Amino acid sequence: MEEKMPDHLFVGKSIPRTIETDKVTGKAVYIDDLKRPGMLYGKILYSKHAHAKIKSIDTSKAEKLEGVRAVLTGRDIPDVRVGFLKDQTVLKRDVVRQFKDEVAAVAAIRPEIAAEAIDLIKVEYEKLPGVFDPFEAMKQGSPLVHEVDARGRPIKSNILPLPWKFEVGDIEQARKDSAYISKDTVSTTWVNQCCMGTSGCIAEFDQNNNLTLYDQTNVIFGHIGRITEYFSQIGLRGKKIRVVNPVVGGSFGTKLDTDIYEFIAIQLALKTRKPVKILFDREEEFQALPPRQPAVFTIEQGCDKEGILTFRYCEAVLDNGSYTSWGATTPSVMIMPMSSLYRVPNVYFKATCVYTNNIYAQAMRGYGNPQATFAVETSMDTLAEEAGIDPAEFRLINRNRSGDDTPMKLKITSCGLEECITAVKEKLNWDDKKGKQKGRGVGMASLIHVAGGARVTKSDGHGMMIKLDEYGHVDVIESGTDQGQGSPTVISQIVAEALGVRPEDIFLTFGDTALALWDAGTHASRHTFMAGNAAIGACAKAKRQILEMAVEQMPKIIKGGFKRKKRKDPEFVEPALDFGLIANPEDLDIRDRMVFPRKDPDHPYFKLPLTQILQNGLHVGTGQSKVVMAEEFYDPPTEMLNWEMKGNLSMTYAFGTCGVEVGVDEQTGEVKILKLVSAHDVGKAMNPTLLLGQIYGAAYTGVGYALTEEIKVRNGRVMNPSFRDYQMLTAMDVVPIEPVVIEPIDEAGPYGAKGVGEPGLVPTAPAIANAVYDAIGIRITDLPITPEKILTALKERKV
Amino acid sequence: MIDYDYLRPDNLEEVLGLLKEHGPKATLIAGGTDVMVKIRNTKKAPEVLVSIRGLKDLRYIEKKKDYHIGALTTHRMLEQSELIRTELSALHDGASRVGSVQVRNVATVGGNICNAAPSADTAGPLLVLDAIVFMEGPEGKRSVPITEFFTSTYKTVLKKDEVLTEIKIPGEMEHFGSAYWKHSRRKAMNLPILGIAVSLKLEGEIISDVRIALTVAAPTPVRAYKAEDFLKGKPLSDEALNEAGKIAASTECCSLRDSLRGEAWYRAEIIEVYVPRMAKLAAERRSK
Amino acid sequence: MKKVSVSFTLNGDSVKAEVPATWTLLKTLREYFELTGAKEGCGVGECGACTVIMDGEAINSCLCPIPEVEGRSVTTIEGLADEDGSLHPLQDAFLKNNGVQCGFCTSGMIMSSKALLDQNPDPTEDDIRTTIAGNFCRCTGYVQIVESVEMAAKEGK
Repeated sequence: MEEKMPDHLFVGKSIPRTIETDKVTGKAVYIDDLKRPGMLYGKILYSKHAHAKIKSIDTSKAEKLEGVRAVLTGRDIPDVRVGFLKDQTVLKRDVVRQFKDEVAAVAAIRPEIAAEAIDLIKVEYEKLPGVFDPFEAMKQGSPLVHEVDARGRPIKSNILPLPWKFEVGDIEQARKDSAYISKDTVSTTWVNQCCMGTSGCIAEFDQNNNLTLYDQTNVIFGHIGRITEYFSQIGLRGKKIRVVNPVVGGSFGTKLDTDIYEFIAIQLALKTRKPVKILFDREEEFQALPPRQPAVFTIEQGCDKEGILTFRYCEAVLDNGSYTSWGATTPSVMIMPMSSLYRVPNVYFKATCVYTNNIYAQAMRGYGNPQATFAVETSMDTLAEEAGIDPAEFRLINRNRSGDDTPMKLKITSCGLEECITAVKEKLNWDDKKGKQKGRGVGMASLIHVAGGARVTKSDGHGMMIKLDEYGHVDVIESGTDQGQGSPTVISQIVAEALGVRPEDIFLTFGDTALALWDAGTHASRHTFMAGNAAIGACAKAKRQILEMAVEQMPKIIKGGFKRKKRKDPEFVEPALDFGLIANPEDLDIRDRMVFPRKDPDHPYFKLPLTQILQNGLHVGTGQSKVVMAEEFYDPPTEMLNWEMKGNLSMTYAFGTCGVEVGVDEQTGEVKILKLVSAHDVGKAMNPTLLLGQIYGAAYTGVGYALTEEIKVRNGRVMNPSFRDYQMLTAMDVVPIEPVVIEPIDEAGPYGAKGVGEPGLVPTAPAIANAVYDAIGIRITDLPITPEKILTALKERKV
Repeated sequence: MIDYDYLRPDNLEEVLGLLKEHGPKATLIAGGTDVMVKIRNTKKAPEVLVSIRGLKDLRYIEKKKDYHIGALTTHRMLEQSELIRTELSALHDGASRVGSVQVRNVATVGGNICNAAPSADTAGPLLVLDAIVFMEGPEGKRSVPITEFFTSTYKTVLKKDEVLTEIKIPGEMEHFGSAYWKHSRRKAMNLPILGIAVSLKLEGEIISDVRIALTVAAPTPVRAYKAEDFLKGKPLSDEALNEAGKIAASTECCSLRDSLRGEAWYRAEIIEVYVPRMAKLAAERRSK
Repeated sequence: MKKVSVSFTLNGDSVKAEVPATWTLLKTLREYFELTGAKEGCGVGECGACTVIMDGEAINSCLCPIPEVEGRSVTTIEGLADEDGSLHPLQDAFLKNNGVQCGFCTSGMIMSSKALLDQNPDPTEDDIRTTIAGNFCRCTGYVQIVESVEMAAKEGK
């Protein structure tokens, strides 16, 4: 996908986000702001216990409250199973298995009335013993979270029947061949995505029971798939579903599954025949929104005398909570750093997901990679120490290289890992500081992540349509979701570049399934890569149409102009022109809204405005009028993971390194980040300012993950459901971040670009843990790295 | 559903009249940053809210013989007052760490101490600055030293028909240097895990007088008298300060508990570390 | 429902709201005046997404009882751009400098910053960070927001 233009007009430039001016003027319409005529407000009654039988539900008082239009319990709707493993129903009938369990729902004319009605519903429970630790839950004799599976067969164990096992090479032999081995156990906990816009949707049926769902989902077509399946089981088979994104207030992984509240909104809308909005308040967002997947890893690595990795062996246990969403699929991403971060020939990875009565997890930025990288990169440091090799040097020895074929069968094309590690070393003054300071230390960690799509569904396609009106406006109908990362600006840069117009000529529609072709989803850092390639394809087609039109129209326009001149001025002599220059579409081009012959770009007569061509092509008066419209459905030649968890699922991979210098206050255990270097190989920066925004934002979230954020869950209950007690960082928690952008142009990417949305936060936690170790010789292996943990470790060491 | 009358009297007399008229049905509201949050979280409200936010007469910072701070002075005013910053530094420290600028613009110091959270950021500073609290009710005016103001968690001696009017700080506190440390997980928008306030007077290298207050260390904000007694007359040395810290962290001075925000053992560590640090900062400020 | 009638100045215009006494300024702005720029991100004064300016000071409108707004002057994000559509330097800077990503925090972030620049046209980075400490953002890591405010401050000179 090379661009043969001498230099780019728009791609690679920091074009401002003018296209999103509505966001700075208060005009942007988020789900919070959206109203539909006759709309009702839905609220959900959640369980009061982590595990209990529902003996009875009395909704009589709620039903009588003025303004209430519907009250639903599990008995009022078909008992259809939903979710990745079909292990939960929309409203729970007989048993609640977590505090988040939805027991009843109300729709009313005002949200306050709905909330009051919820309080009037009386539920009688009979408590059941709960299990809150996955290791306990794995044991024989543990209370079972589920009694039967989706097919009604009895379940005998809390361990989920998921096939997360990867094995390449001969681990035993590799162990014997190792000069050094290190073993560690690390763990990560639940953290909340903290989107500033909370979860919400509006469900609305038309007279014929076709559904429109206004929803912040990042997988507009995935939603349709899941809701279609749901519909087929509730008597709505064949009905059309349209999903429309409003402006999205952040995603960070929260909008990739179809959640229970969305099914509830649909049921309330069905019952009341009115649009129903459900909108989470912040407390609900902390308590009822599935967070990031926690995991415990036992990891072992070995290397030979020269420091070359011989094997990597890891077993992971995942607290699956009571039901299953994307958290349980994070091992399919964990396998990427496990098998392919650094060159390692023999790999074993097994992940066990276990039901408990805790909250269940979904995706969050990084999708298992941050957790697994915390394990791998902790282990790299401990092994380097065993081998007596500097950790940065150790990483360079084992670095991935362009052309590698990893044990997981990932094909590494462009690879800037060496440059990233080197840049981090330099910017941290690594050689002068490592192991040489007291109370201060440096540490680093790297990452690998998909950056050219991610074939997690059978189609990893992304469709785009463009059409031009005769005034030169370009409508781009995008099939992804704009979650705030800057897609409208970046895509308008790419389209403007590829088509030959200006970014301000581009008008984009995102996230409307009635208009869009299809997209696998705005996730896995794939949007710019996929949409960019689709755009280049569509623009090439549209350009062709325009130039074919130009070939027809330009001679007419020019000769017509001469005729008019001659009429006015009989002395006028028509210049002798070589119309052969503009006889073929291949000989023409468009740049900055002008059509011109390639061989003579500044030709005095043959350079015409694009709009003139378009107008003349449309308003012909002969029945031969034409419009310009093109589409491209880009589905890259990648593979799905096979049953061995192998396959080249992306066109290219992103690499990066995070290096940190920390200071530790040994009296209080507090860690201060003195400098954070975030180096990324991005292929090519489409818009440098927007790119930095992704790097800063992700790194900052990574620091929170490493040091301050945790959802405190006690016996299944979320104890800190507020911003006051959930420690997301504020503007006063300064982290000096120095970004480094490496651009090994990737052939597969649009103008050479690779994805960058998630990489920024993948290696932050282990980099910080490694730096703390360098500073005070204490290794915290359990996130977050709190002052209490450090102080406890320091005191234990003194003893 | 929540419903209440929202009354906005013009002066203190009217306020007292309304409190008398409505009795237990009424609650005072000033900045609203505590009351409104409580209503939202508990889903319960009093029948009548009597707003004192408009009583401009109770919003002032003055220095005569003593320092006089009107009860309705906002934290932002305290934060931006050069007088408070230089002469009553601990109070500046405390006020400027409350919530955010948005909160400090409306939340009042009177509201902060009347709410009487064990974590109140102005409580520690006021304790070490020998503050005296003035109240007015149907029976007239009265005052108590701040050390007698807090009775239990979220409870004070203020009666339901009384209004806090002024906080007075004795003029001689000018000769003390003071500092307050709010220990929290992040630098803003947090309740403290622990609060330590120290004020002291030096004669040469000797601590001639000292006050130490702890918050989130007991059901109410408290003075660490035993630690103060130890420190009086001692030099400003690490040895003395560390020992004072240990005494302050012990059960002689406080009753630390485990809670969501922190564990007792860690709180004790922080007291031991920060009593010396704040004493040194207070001393530094004194010498300016 | 006890109702109140509150007269005040909203983005330069004299207005009157007749709403329940229990309504907050935020709810009044969003539902009575249909100015949805200020957002409810938490409802308890912690996140700052509801920040507006009242009599020159940034406040959390979600905690402001509407009766308190009587006679006051309120400015919201909708009141920032000129009548002819030209943007305030802050709005312009946020677009140029990527200070806005998903945009949910943006209204509050800009209003907090405007209150700062109106009082202190030449703020330090510390001043800016203290000002927006009560405005949470998950997208940006705050760096480009601080830079946007700095850019707007320069613009204003």
